[in-house]
Amino acid sequence: MTTDAPTRAPLGGPIGWIENRLHLGPFIGALLHVRVPADAKTFYLGGITLFLFGIQVVTGTLLALYYSPTPDAAYESVLSITSDVQFGWLIRSIHHWTANLMILSLILHVIRIFVQGAYKYPREATWLVGGGLLMLTIGFGFTGYLLPWDQRAYWATVVGTEIAGAVPLIGPPLLLLLRGGPDVTDATLARFFGIHVLVLPLLIGALIAIHLLFVHQQGLANPKRPDPRPGRPGPDLSAEKTKPFFPDYILDELIAWYAVLTALVVLATIFPAGLEAKADPLITPEHIKPEWYFLGVYELLKLVPETVGVVAPIALVLVIVILPLLDRNHEVRPRRRPIAIGLATLLLVGLGVLTVLGGRS
Amino acid sequence: MRPLPALRLLAGPALAGGLLVLVVAASATAGDPPATGGSATDAEPAWYAVVQATPTPAIPLESAPPLPTPIAHPGDASATGCVDCHDQVDNKQAAIAEDWRSSIHAKEGVGCADCHGGDPRSDEITVGMAVANGFQGVPGREETVGVCGGCHANAERMRPYQIATDQYSKYFSSVHGQRLLTANDTKVAICIDCHGSHGVKPASDPTADVYPLNVPDLCASCHADAEKMEPYGIPTDQFEVYKLSVHGRQLLDEQDLRAPTCTSCHGSHAAQPPRSDTVVDVCGKCHTATQALYEESAHSRLPAVGPKCWTCHGTHDVTEPDERLFLHEGGVPDYLCATCHSPTDQSLRLELDQFEQESDRRCDTCHHERSVIYSQVEAIAGAIGGAASAYDAALFRIDEAAALGMIVADAEVAAAEAKTGLIRARAAVHTTKLAAISAITKETVDKAAAAEAIANAKLDDNTFRRQAMVVVIAIIALNVLVLMGLRRRLHAPG
Amino acid sequence: MPSEIEQGTSGGGTTIPAAEAGGRESRGFGRRRFIRYLMSFSIVSSLAIVVTPIIGFLIPTKSASGTAGGRVLAGTLETLPVGTGAVIAVGSKPAIVVSTATGVKAYSAICTHLGCIVLWDEAAGAIICPCHDGRFNPATGAVVSGPPPAPLAPLATAVEGNEIYIVTG
Repeated sequence: MTTDAPTRAPLGGPIGWIENRLHLGPFIGALLHVRVPADAKTFYLGGITLFLFGIQVVTGTLLALYYSPTPDAAYESVLSITSDVQFGWLIRSIHHWTANLMILSLILHVIRIFVQGAYKYPREATWLVGGGLLMLTIGFGFTGYLLPWDQRAYWATVVGTEIAGAVPLIGPPLLLLLRGGPDVTDATLARFFGIHVLVLPLLIGALIAIHLLFVHQQGLANPKRPDPRPGRPGPDLSAEKTKPFFPDYILDELIAWYAVLTALVVLATIFPAGLEAKADPLITPEHIKPEWYFLGVYELLKLVPETVGVVAPIALVLVIVILPLLDRNHEVRPRRRPIAIGLATLLLVGLGVLTVLGGRS
Repeated sequence: MRPLPALRLLAGPALAGGLLVLVVAASATAGDPPATGGSATDAEPAWYAVVQATPTPAIPLESAPPLPTPIAHPGDASATGCVDCHDQVDNKQAAIAEDWRSSIHAKEGVGCADCHGGDPRSDEITVGMAVANGFQGVPGREETVGVCGGCHANAERMRPYQIATDQYSKYFSSVHGQRLLTANDTKVAICIDCHGSHGVKPASDPTADVYPLNVPDLCASCHADAEKMEPYGIPTDQFEVYKLSVHGRQLLDEQDLRAPTCTSCHGSHAAQPPRSDTVVDVCGKCHTATQALYEESAHSRLPAVGPKCWTCHGTHDVTEPDERLFLHEGGVPDYLCATCHSPTDQSLRLELDQFEQESDRRCDTCHHERSVIYSQVEAIAGAIGGAASAYDAALFRIDEAAALGMIVADAEVAAAEAKTGLIRARAAVHTTKLAAISAITKETVDKAAAAEAIANAKLDDNTFRRQAMVVVIAIIALNVLVLMGLRRRLHAPG
Repeated sequence: MPSEIEQGTSGGGTTIPAAEAGGRESRGFGRRRFIRYLMSFSIVSSLAIVVTPIIGFLIPTKSASGTAGGRVLAGTLETLPVGTGAVIAVGSKPAIVVSTATGVKAYSAICTHLGCIVLWDEAAGAIICPCHDGRFNPATGAVVSGPPPAPLAPLATAVEGNEIYIVTG
């Protein structure tokens, strides 16, 4: 859109070249020149997750240039990437660790939103979209895990799809749909590859855009007081401490991103992604364990009847998604929401214990 | 290397000359002519002769008694008179009847009368067990072999079952059978002691006492009993020793039917400990490659004094061989001359009892330090040791690289080639040919070096990566400092 | 972005008041240039550590033998007539290819006994392991005699025209 910018001096250089033709100045200005709450230390988690996703897009695209999604060649192609291709080990290890860190930062981001009550009015839809983003990210982790086609990948997928098949009512058709047949075969690999590389990126791209749009529209929630509701007198907002999104908050965000990059580089170098023996449907390894973010559910299934173990996580997800409808309390400070915080703590501790137990077995 | 080998070479001919005189002087007895070893690649020069002791002549065997005819009786397999009554007589008889019913004889229609005679059509004791009707009762131990053999050695009779019919003649060639014949010793094992009397099962039945996995226990039931073996003066520790051996562990712990049982080496019906001149063939039945290698060596051409398999590897206590078998650790003990040389004519004898202690089974027990061959022994031991340590060094490096997360598949393949060479070199020791062994160990060392080089390259790669990581972190740190500086400038006073 | 700060057009940025700017200007120019260099260097170095691996990754390498759908040339019908065999490396694994009356067969050359590399014995017409004389049937890979407990793992072959390939995977 064009607006008159009467008293601006003409900009020089490449930026000026673009600005004179596209007049993006006001648009970018609207994006950048917003204010955020002053004490916003844990706010970086969302941006970190986005940064990590960006890394996954880049490294994932690079890997896809060498990867071959058939059982005959998948393992060899991954081996070749790791041993023969220059920096192949680095791209692969970064992709592996970024996946883990992305899920971790996503979980921390969700916890932060919950603790600060930022899912409440007017951000219910943002929370819903965020729930979708969580599901898609876990879907990325699940589908991507199979692609190296080594013993670990293959058997973790067998177990994972079995669990999906145990969902009441829709289980058996869901299992067939996921596996592309009754067993994990080349059809499964082709399907998972297509989902991981095309379907999920498109979906998550759309949801990220919506999520960011909502965040931009509503601004970052203030942890100290709820947003004023329509028709109710709100508190005096003039004395609040805020800081500009650009450049203050962005600089801090960049520093956080660099710190995450450091962690990634260290992890990828000191603990490179491994590769077990090639997948053999005839040899079941002794201990099949899913990746850490599934360990909690995995352990739960050992302790309770199968149906309970499968329905409970689904119920949990549903509760999380409709949380804004369930939680009518207007308060956002943790101290004024003992039930919510108490239940959440219980849940997190329970999941943590289950995860640790699952990791030890 | 031994000091002044040249002098030793001079001493050798003098000694050999003296021995030759002795050999000529002593009247030629049955002993094989001294081996001179025609092969030029052997370390043993043509003029070196070994005086060998006269081998113990084999004891001529008493021949088997004539085969009795099978017991004839009225009725056929459908006649169940005997078991009908015996089932109800008392518990002991009922148990016997039950044993028989579970046996292979019952399945093939061989009944009570086939061994005991009588009339199986009737369940009346006065008819079924009447001597007039052919009843013979329980055969005595001397007659049992004939009762079993009457059918089992009859080719015509056994044809439908496709079982061998040589057990009768084999049995009487065995130590058990010979003692039964010559000494009337009824305490030796007869057919029913191993196969059972009523509950006979085929050897392929896992519940049979003669099933391979159960054979050592079966033989040990007599041979490990000190009281039973006392009149014969046979040791009774074989089973205990065998259980700990590599053969015993493979059979009894791993349940591997390919592993040898007592009968694999001693024979079953023709049971006899293998003689010195046959033992290589017995071991070689399974260890074919090793036998072929052994037969290339100078050892195999000295039948009376050359070491056999058991000389180095033991009999019942066979364990995994390793490099310790070459040389005594800490020096060779002072063996008495008479241990190996006959006091009368200094001829050499090689007997089982000399190598009972595992610590005596070494190359340098015979090839003492001042012998010509000792340097060859040392060279072989050194070559094998060198190849083994090269291989171990390669594996160590590969493990180091793998622990750092590097992919080591290609290094492992090179190491597998080195391992092939090492195993082949160890097997080639049986040829005692230093040239052949060295060729293989050299190949092994080269391949192990190649594997180690690949692993080292990976380790270097890893080190480079870590150094690059430090540089990258430094650049990131610089960037962060710049950003932090920028931040501070944003809120500079003014 | 840095230029915007210095032009003072962004909301929330600071501007150096004119009164102080004059006194500090001579030092400010040097410092400003230094800061500019520093920031250019940091931007360039950041880009470098990101772009270098990406470009390096994209450059194809010479050794791409074991890659996607790879095949390894094992020989030709002339170099491997019926009744002969050879051990070749396929990727990082040794393989044995044998030309039999029923066609060209290939197996993993790793003996299933203790892992030695097997070889082809033309005189015996069998795949033999030199370590303990284990023998394998060239037509099926099954154990014929000796200590190996299991047959050799088969590999897929493809004969195109004259050339014999071992297909990896």
